[in-house]
Amino acid sequence: MALQILLNFFLAGVWMFMTNAFTPTGFAVGFIVGLLLIILMRRFFSYRLYTSRIWAVISLFFLFLKELILSSFSVFKLVIQPKLTIRPAVFELETELTHDWEVTLLSALITLTPGTLVIGISEDQKRLYIHAIDFEDIEDAVSSIKNTFERAILEVSRP
Amino acid sequence: MRTNDVMLQTATKVVTFIILMFAVHIFFAGHYTPGGGFVGGLLTASAIVLLMLAYDIETVKKIIPFNYVMMTATGLLLALGTASASIFFNVPFFTHAYDYFDLPLWGKTSLHSAALFDLGVYLVVVGVTMTIIQTIGEDE
Repeated sequence: MALQILLNFFLAGVWMFMTNAFTPTGFAVGFIVGLLLIILMRRFFSYRLYTSRIWAVISLFFLFLKELILSSFSVFKLVIQPKLTIRPAVFELETELTHDWEVTLLSALITLTPGTLVIGISEDQKRLYIHAIDFEDIEDAVSSIKNTFERAILEVSRP
Repeated sequence: MRTNDVMLQTATKVVTFIILMFAVHIFFAGHYTPGGGFVGGLLTASAIVLLMLAYDIETVKKIIPFNYVMMTATGLLLALGTASASIFFNVPFFTHAYDYFDLPLWGKTSLHSAALFDLGVYLVVVGVTMTIIQTIGEDE
């Protein structure tokens, strides 16, 4: 992935030297030509194209925005209720993520969406301890997080 | 049960570079806009302190093996040397010189000897701050 991006920048530089156009426009044209060549030669790489990973990052960002708005509305509805009928709880989430940055990203996304809050990470990084402001049952909360954020992060990090 | 600091450490790895970059920018922006050696030095020291909070003092000493006492001395020498260089040109002590140069990447740039004095201030601030924090932190 990183090698492909570096190769693309290198090809753009080579293009600038070939066409003698040391301008941002020349760089952009060279970058596009290099990207087309990398797409043509994609079977030489052992990993998938870096464009698909960038697309996964963008879709993760929009997924986060969607979840942010939805959960903000649900917390807002809880706040304006005359009677406080919330059932807070702390539950445990088994995660499949292994890398440090994946766990950090997942924790940040869970914390940034209103209603859920990461209060701790276990020593072996296999479990997150999450505080939920109002929850029906554990399976529901766990599966909703697993199906949205964790799957999107796995989509970004898979080779 | 020990806590797992993975989130703090991963964020620190990213944020430290941004703080150090900002410190360099503030240092060089000091002539025309707010900033300068003192603020830049404090920002640099704060980045190292953030590393010390996320990891521990021994690890950071291995990562950044500077002798901060020597750094303070170097900064003081640099400031004094910049101030006393004016003696050789028959002008009063602390007189600064500046001129416009054609640098290859920046074009027409004004270079001022006050920047060297500021670099001395920067080194003194980083050295003194880190010496204080390390000495207190290692106190058993």
